[in-house]
Amino acid sequence: MSQPDFEVIQRVLAGETAAFDRLVAQYQQEIYRLAFRMTRNAEDAKDLAQETFIQAYRSLGTFRGHSRFYTWLYRIAMNLCLNHLKASARQDPTQVDEQLPDSRADSLSVLLKDERDRALDEAIKTLPPQQKATLTLRVQQGLGHKEIAEILECSEGTAKANYFHAVRTLQRRLAAFREPE
Amino acid sequence: MTDCESAREQLLAYHDGELPAEQRQAVETHLLSCPDCAREAALIGEVLDRVRTLSVPEPPPEFWETFGRDLHRRMADVPSPQPPWWVKAAEWIHGVVPPRAVPVLATATAVGLLLAIGLIRTHRAPHDAPPAEALVITEDMGIGQNLEILESFDLLQEMDVLERLDVLRQLDRTGRPGLT
Repeated sequence: MSQPDFEVIQRVLAGETAAFDRLVAQYQQEIYRLAFRMTRNAEDAKDLAQETFIQAYRSLGTFRGHSRFYTWLYRIAMNLCLNHLKASARQDPTQVDEQLPDSRADSLSVLLKDERDRALDEAIKTLPPQQKATLTLRVQQGLGHKEIAEILECSEGTAKANYFHAVRTLQRRLAAFREPE
Repeated sequence: MTDCESAREQLLAYHDGELPAEQRQAVETHLLSCPDCAREAALIGEVLDRVRTLSVPEPPPEFWETFGRDLHRRMADVPSPQPPWWVKAAEWIHGVVPPRAVPVLATATAVGLLLAIGLIRTHRAPHDAPPAEALVITEDMGIGQNLEILESFDLLQEMDVLERLDVLRQLDRTGRPGLT
């Protein structure tokens, strides 16, 4: 764990609660981006990011320093995002939050590419939460399988399997589109 | 030589750069000669590129001002975090006991605990000693029963080990031989 994070945490636990603002400032963009990648909705991402910091503040006394602080913070964020996705799926399984930009219709190949992109985006949104989480952490955050397993509190094998299945699902979705001859 | 099944199993690791050099070379060689697997590899590459480049719209600067303000408002009623009680206890000990005395104190505590455990075990009544009632019952056994047991011992010499054990168990339970 980086020394500055550790020192800030100790200061917060010693009563200097305003020091927590430093941790918020350092990680707010990263946590917001993570939440946005999971939800593809700006308002939800903002709410989830704030909730992440509230939970972290509340539980700061339980952080033992065995893992890096950002790993611990990511774990809180991912748990909140996964719960949010499960709750959203129960409420409206067909909900589409993000509007893709309009495509230029000047050629068939461009149209088809846009269709492929839309199909892929839709497929990403409808991935099972754990698969989406693994895909996001692996491909978009660039984390290793071991770290992903630590964040998602699963085995490394499970993390790899979820990643494999996520890519396989998207690959099959893409294979349904064929370029014109 | 890599076959299609083996190559396809490795395509994701290939794209992630996780294959050792030799395996990577084998997969690449196979892809050059197999259009189906090459198409599969291209699809995986396209999926990963698309996921990687999915953009996160950057919020305007004022977004972060309201983010911080809203967060403070939501955290107003959250109690200040406290370290766990054992951390507080350790800090208290460090504050009261001189640093050099801490290892001595810890050793003394450990020795004291071991002595206490030893004393408790010493004064506990032994479990394997038969209760006094059992000894009384043995003494009250009639001479006839004792003779039967002695006869059984003669018979034991002619029996194999397992049969002897069964008889002994029976003798132990009833005072009579378990002979058929």
